[in-house]
Amino acid sequence: MTAGISVIGLTKTYGDHTVLDDLHLTFEAGKIHGLLGANGTGKTTLMSLMSRHTFPTRGSVLLDDREFGEDPRQAQRLCFIRENQLYNDAFKVRDVLRIAPTFYPTWDAATTTRLVDRFRLPPATVVKKLSRGQRSALAIVLALGSRADFTFLDEPYLGLDPGARETFYEELIRSYGAQPRTIIMSTHLVDEAAPLLEEVVVLNQGRVALQAPLDEAESLGLTINGSAVALDGWLRDHTSHQELTRRTLGPTATVTTLGPLTEAARQAAETARLRVSPTSLQGLVAALGNSNHEAA
Amino acid sequence: MTHVLRSMRLYLANRYFVLGVPFFIFAVVVVLSVAILAIIGTMQGFPLSEEVRESTRNNFGVLFSAPGFLVSVGVYAATRNFALALALGVTRRNFWAGTALGFVLTSAVTATTAVVGLGLEYLTNHWFIGVHVFDVHMFGNGDVTLLFVGLFVTAMACLAGGALFGTLFRAYGTVRTVMWGAAIGVAALALLALAATNEARVLAWQDAWGEWLSVSVVAAVAAAFLAGSYAAVRRATV
Repeated sequence: MTAGISVIGLTKTYGDHTVLDDLHLTFEAGKIHGLLGANGTGKTTLMSLMSRHTFPTRGSVLLDDREFGEDPRQAQRLCFIRENQLYNDAFKVRDVLRIAPTFYPTWDAATTTRLVDRFRLPPATVVKKLSRGQRSALAIVLALGSRADFTFLDEPYLGLDPGARETFYEELIRSYGAQPRTIIMSTHLVDEAAPLLEEVVVLNQGRVALQAPLDEAESLGLTINGSAVALDGWLRDHTSHQELTRRTLGPTATVTTLGPLTEAARQAAETARLRVSPTSLQGLVAALGNSNHEAA
Repeated sequence: MTHVLRSMRLYLANRYFVLGVPFFIFAVVVVLSVAILAIIGTMQGFPLSEEVRESTRNNFGVLFSAPGFLVSVGVYAATRNFALALALGVTRRNFWAGTALGFVLTSAVTATTAVVGLGLEYLTNHWFIGVHVFDVHMFGNGDVTLLFVGLFVTAMACLAGGALFGTLFRAYGTVRTVMWGAAIGVAALALLALAATNEARVLAWQDAWGEWLSVSVVAAVAAAFLAGSYAAVRRATV
């Protein structure tokens, strides 16, 4: 089994509602993984289960092939500051920044100091008084400062202005470059974050819709437009392309498909006067979210 | 042990909140007690009569002023600090142990503050006006050991009680926490009823143990709350 995080048959239900349904995944160690999907598809729940913030209904999670339970040495390899992280109401920013380094032998003080400065975090302010963007900035400081072996970033850019987001991306690359580790980041700004990612996992309705290296994922989405009749014919002849979404306007149709475009398929589309263009990763994630596709 | 101490440091991250506030609470109790007696003195004339001064030995201020704050500290520790501890890679067991150590510190500081207050009360001849704040009947009229241990176990019971309900909330959600609360309340009432039906035996214990009987009961409650929170924290989630 590959080292990293292995998710084995993970299911999480709340009453009658199944959030995650028999997930089997591997997050290889030493890579930046994008955890993508629409709201409510189970991204945060999956990260909570992987970091043992909550417990699965069924299944298990292995860190480097080991269950970690209550092992403190395994637990301190994790850092997961949630998007809506709770802090003690009495804590000021400086309290949190003073205490957090004691939890990680790997703490990166230089990065922390630089990030606090770049995000202009006010040390004397009570955390609950911070703006949405400042709370995100604090979460980023803690997550990158920890240099934890397994770092989870839950929509880390919420409330950050474009400049601050740029700072985050820059510092993430810098920190990861200095010490490669496993980073799992959920995001809705897919195309903006894509250059950082090495692997992507797309969840849809609690199941894995796609897991692939970034370059492969980016090549899998196609938008095909033309005569609906010709399009249907092309899709019948090229079953490796699964139709995800379709828009029809009179006799013409536009479909988003999932599947690798071979030269033969491209030529067949050209012959059928179909226009084929790549779909952005963001478009592909949206299309997967609107389909019933499930990864094989 | 290192992992446990990290959780204790998290509890102590804002030292003023968990160690300093009891001092201010007791200071306010002293100020209010003096103010009330000053008002009585203004109406009846100074110096205050022996009867008025002695009546303040029934002052419950020290006992009843801090529990609300201490319960809230316990609740915050078990909910907010718990969430941050897990985020920073702490196990549930170590979080509980570190936080319980923190509770011991807060309780010790609370009790020590009261003992220092008792010393100041004697030095100032009962706050210059004859009011009793720490030198009161319920704490043995100046019994330093009883004052320290009594306030220590009271503080522990409040902190652990807050932590118990905070942890139950994290483990079982609102509805089942209310049900647990009701069950604990019913159990407490059952114990009281049991005590009432064995009044003679309880009075015999009271005679033999004096105020230490109450202290022992509160200590047992604190221990039960701690054990309950330990059992619940293993199921607690964020």
